[in-house]
Amino acid sequence: MLVTVNINGEAKRLNIAPGELLLDALRSAGYFGVKRGCETGECGACTVLVNEKPVNSCLMFAAQAEDADILTIEGVAPDGKLDPIQTAFLDHGAVQCGYCTPGMILSAKALLAGRPDPTEGEVREALAGNFCRCTGYLKPVEAVLAAAQVYRQAGQSARRKSGRSLGTSRKKR
Amino acid sequence: MFDHIECFYRPSTLREALVLLHKTGKRGAIVAGATDIVTRADRTPRFFIDVTHLGLDYVRKKGRGCTIGAATTMMGLEKSPIINRLAGGILAKAAATCGSIQNRNMATVGGNLANASPAADTAPVLLALDAQLVAVNSRRKRRIPLDEFYTGPHRTVLNGELIEEILIPPLPGGRSGWSFQKLGRTETDISLVNAAAGLQADSRGRIKWVHIALGAVGPMPLRAREAENLLQGNALSEDSITRAGGAVMNQVSPISDGRASAEYRREMSRILVQRALRECAVQAGFPIMN
Repeated sequence: MLVTVNINGEAKRLNIAPGELLLDALRSAGYFGVKRGCETGECGACTVLVNEKPVNSCLMFAAQAEDADILTIEGVAPDGKLDPIQTAFLDHGAVQCGYCTPGMILSAKALLAGRPDPTEGEVREALAGNFCRCTGYLKPVEAVLAAAQVYRQAGQSARRKSGRSLGTSRKKR
Repeated sequence: MFDHIECFYRPSTLREALVLLHKTGKRGAIVAGATDIVTRADRTPRFFIDVTHLGLDYVRKKGRGCTIGAATTMMGLEKSPIINRLAGGILAKAAATCGSIQNRNMATVGGNLANASPAADTAPVLLALDAQLVAVNSRRKRRIPLDEFYTGPHRTVLNGELIEEILIPPLPGGRSGWSFQKLGRTETDISLVNAAAGLQADSRGRIKWVHIALGAVGPMPLRAREAENLLQGNALSEDSITRAGGAVMNQVSPISDGRASAEYRREMSRILVQRALRECAVQAGFPIMN
């Protein structure tokens, strides 16, 4: 069956099997930043934003994504210019093997879109569904807090930009 | 994993969904948030019927109660001002513990009930709130008290029906208190034991209304009626809280598994109910006598 989805701001038609998971459909379409992890919705490596909300793509059927706006890590820096969250992850040494990083950055992006001034607790809660098996969470948490500061300093313009990259053109349902 | 699925239906009206449910019969399965159906990986269904586009994502206030569309997500409950104001916000609190943000953005309250996990976090709260389910198929619509909904682990009385909405009747106001308690490895992990309680005091400081429910301590979520009967009509005292805890321990029938032993769960059922009663008492401004 065919589904029409908007991936990273581009309208795509994906040919999927009726029972295909969104994770598999995205990887088949070349979005390898969507990582296959536990496949039971625990680890968050497969996190993507669907209509601006983080979800586990391993627990969602691709057919359910019809007409949805999907953001994968590939869409976070479309013109090659890193998002402040990505820069902060690099600056803070928050990337080790990197497998959990796309999911963490997308979870952080969803958090900062709604809450530009999060507490450490809120950052930890936002990342609670993204497991890191290298060492831990201190560096990613620091990175997200630092990115929040960059977002705030950049002010309205940064927020408008993040709104655009999250796809504000989505249909209301 | 689901390569045996022949068709994925996305109906846009309840009517259409019910016709599909009827036509596909035992080979059709309802999909909402998909979080349980994917992880369970049951290979019997040949057809999936997505119920997330039927307009069943809503929370409506109804006097001192409310109506919740079955496809409302856990995140939807958490963020709903109505649910946050209802019964001390215990349903919002319980929903906020149903897994990670990613899980809660997908998982629905109807799915949490229909999946009938003994540990479902919204179940004890909805039991304590006397919730009823509106179940529909292509021929009829009926109301099922949540207390009569479960028949065993992952088993319910649903018979070719889908849950349309959840009705929460008018709740006691005045001097009332509410509590949701959960014991898990982390705040959002599966519950080792969960409990919910609500109570209302009369003008003489006696318990006029009390509901207590628990999960993960038996084949299905349950109301702790013996404990309720002990408390009903009496003042709340250290002694009555102790006796209520004892009654709960006698009523539960937990299992041992990789997460906790039956003994531990039994002991914790007492602790959680006692904590819940104390929290209710504080909220209701209800003194606990010595």
